[in-house]
Amino acid sequence: MCHGRPGRANQKQPSPLAASVPPRSYPEPPMTNLAIDISNASKTYKGKIHALRGVDLHVGRGEVFGLLGPNGAGKSTLVKILMTVIRPSTVSGTVLGKPVTDKSTLARVGYLPEHHRFPDYLKGWQVLDFYGGMAGIPRKTRKQRIGQLLELVGMQDWSTKRIKQYSKGMRQRVGLAQALMNDPDLVLLDEPTDGVDPKGRRDIRGICQQLKDEGRTVFINSHLLSELEMVCDRVAIMVQGLVAQQGTIDELTEGQEHYHIELAGDPERLEAAMRTALPNTGIVKQLPTPSEQAQSAHQPPPQHAGRPANLARVSAARGELTTGEWIEINRESLRIGTADPEAVRPIVKALVDGGHTIKTLSRHRPSLEDLFMAAIENPDTGESIGPGAIRENSSIRNKPKSPPPSRPEGRDEDNGGEL
Amino acid sequence: MIITQTKAMLIDAYRELNARKLFWITMGLNLLVVALFASLGINEKGPSFWHWTFDNPFFNSERVSPELFYKFQFVTWGTPFWLSWIATILALVSTAGIIPDLVAGGSIETMISKPISRTRLFLTKYIFGLGFATLQVAVFSTGCFLVMWIRGGTTEFGLFMAIPLVVLFFSYLFSVCVLLGLITRSTVASLLVTILLWFVVFAVNATDVLVLQQKVQFDVEVETLEARLANQNKRADEQVERILESGEPIEDNEGNPITDPEDRRKAAFPMITRTRADLQRAEEAQQTWSTWTDRVVLIKTILPKTGETIGLLDRYLVTGDELAVLMARQNGFKIDEDQLPSERGPGAPDPRVQSRLQEEMRNRNVTWILGTSLAFEAVMLILSGIIFVRRDF
Repeated sequence: MCHGRPGRANQKQPSPLAASVPPRSYPEPPMTNLAIDISNASKTYKGKIHALRGVDLHVGRGEVFGLLGPNGAGKSTLVKILMTVIRPSTVSGTVLGKPVTDKSTLARVGYLPEHHRFPDYLKGWQVLDFYGGMAGIPRKTRKQRIGQLLELVGMQDWSTKRIKQYSKGMRQRVGLAQALMNDPDLVLLDEPTDGVDPKGRRDIRGICQQLKDEGRTVFINSHLLSELEMVCDRVAIMVQGLVAQQGTIDELTEGQEHYHIELAGDPERLEAAMRTALPNTGIVKQLPTPSEQAQSAHQPPPQHAGRPANLARVSAARGELTTGEWIEINRESLRIGTADPEAVRPIVKALVDGGHTIKTLSRHRPSLEDLFMAAIENPDTGESIGPGAIRENSSIRNKPKSPPPSRPEGRDEDNGGEL
Repeated sequence: MIITQTKAMLIDAYRELNARKLFWITMGLNLLVVALFASLGINEKGPSFWHWTFDNPFFNSERVSPELFYKFQFVTWGTPFWLSWIATILALVSTAGIIPDLVAGGSIETMISKPISRTRLFLTKYIFGLGFATLQVAVFSTGCFLVMWIRGGTTEFGLFMAIPLVVLFFSYLFSVCVLLGLITRSTVASLLVTILLWFVVFAVNATDVLVLQQKVQFDVEVETLEARLANQNKRADEQVERILESGEPIEDNEGNPITDPEDRRKAAFPMITRTRADLQRAEEAQQTWSTWTDRVVLIKTILPKTGETIGLLDRYLVTGDELAVLMARQNGFKIDEDQLPSERGPGAPDPRVQSRLQEEMRNRNVTWILGTSLAFEAVMLILSGIIFVRRDF
């Protein structure tokens, strides 16, 4: 389920460091029905470590929202600010309609912290009983919910065993049940599948789906991109304390789809043949000569809107179709930057007419991992940004890559000619 | 919601205690000490232990009632040694982990993400920590009460005053332990530094007693010397009068007549000169020790008064008269009022000094003892509270 929304120019850049990041536009849920609506969330730790640098985040009610990013991106800090575990340097906005730091909101919020540790002396049901009590749930209600939730997470047979006997995955299941004890409107899960086996992961995905079906908002913070891709309606990618991208996966990958053609034969011979044949068809506007290509290989890769940066880095002959789409030739492979089969048809025809044998022809959509990798790429070096938050005196190369717009503009003149 | 949360924390505290072996070991030890208390007794021949009786003409049931005997045992051994030392150390070991466990990574996030204010969470945990000590003292006091009732034939409800006083005493140390637990997040570190501070307080208390004892000793010396000098003056005056009545001249060594009354006294009774010199020396020493006493008291003002807080139980249970009886019976010998404490030798403490020292300690202001100690605890708690409320976990 996707929430296609018009983009919004994000012009608020309150943090001094944030000023180095170009404005971004995010697709957002309707502003009137938000579970989380925060602006300018920043957190600076001692030693001038900027964990968050002015984050704006908007999560609609009833959706499953995924937050991803490399280690030290500020994901857990952001979640902890929402849960009042960490005091923000600055933040404004609401959680479930109340100010972020309002403790009373937490009665309606469930939270599973990353690396949580429940007291070893408690049994499974006692964990739920205790934390349910701390959430202010009356004893009678707790009693009812404990059974239901233990069954939901598949731990009913272990309820009378002490936590110290549990495996990591079992603790995670009980932790999830604990987060649901107060029948929350909003559930924040920090790495919920950490240490959980594949069946458990599927169960947790099922629970997330069930929560969503019940109209609850689920906020998942995870490294497991494939998990998020399967379950989330919308995602945000955080890099070095900033939200680099935010939107539905469809929105984030829109315009980044491409066709991939693989030919059968000797790769060297095929590349040379295509370089010669394709410009003569009148379909391909231009392709660099091998010497031009060798020269461009020593320069930083240009930013190609609408194309994942990891694709742009490939050492290939890049050109442009007369219709504006990009094209890449790399040995026996050919990529065409379009989702329109009609745009590919003349190329296929030219290849077949040229006597080439097409081994595979497929349409590709970037995965969440591609988006993630693109988001954490340093624009200057083309390398992935290392883990950790930004320090005040960090070198420029550590600044987050300017994110590709969530609505790719592959046909824009500015980008179309940069191949 | 507040009641539900408090009940949840109370039940959790019980589960936590129940899971700790040390809690049950401490409880068992408490009962063992009560059993030892019950095995002590006093009869007409002297004190007894199980079926053994130790004959003592000065310390038997004819001179000391069983009621006073048990009260004395309680305030002499039960409180200062068991409750104030061993049981307190065990209680600190048992409770030192409460705050470090609370703020441990992975644990604190779940707790403070609940709709409960950090201040209330912290204070509730603190109070439950004190509850552990309360439980221990309550068991011990109840046991001792039953022993006194059955064996001493008296219902001494005053014993239960041990509960608030020992808990108060424990709370001074626990507040330090909590602060250190928050700062270091380590049970062992907080426990060790707390015990170290406790020894510092103990050393200051010991210094206080030592300095006060010296001051009191010189008080007694000055008083004794003044009395001795007055007596010698009187005897000298009588001597001078007798000489003058006999018509003999009072002359110095060179045969010159002495007209000054003071010089006549010295001539008639030469010991006066030495006594005066002794008195002057004693007064100077008294002044010095008095200054040191004031200084030590000043230092103690900012520290928790652990010894004095426990000492309040002695005041409550044993009256001054009862104490005098016990001390007189225990000393069992006659006091020479003219003898100086310093003339008694190191192995024979002067009963007057001991008695005066006890009196000085017992007369210390309760408001000063409790007020300044509670102020110390409040400072520790406020610091801890600020750290806990403001910290990012």
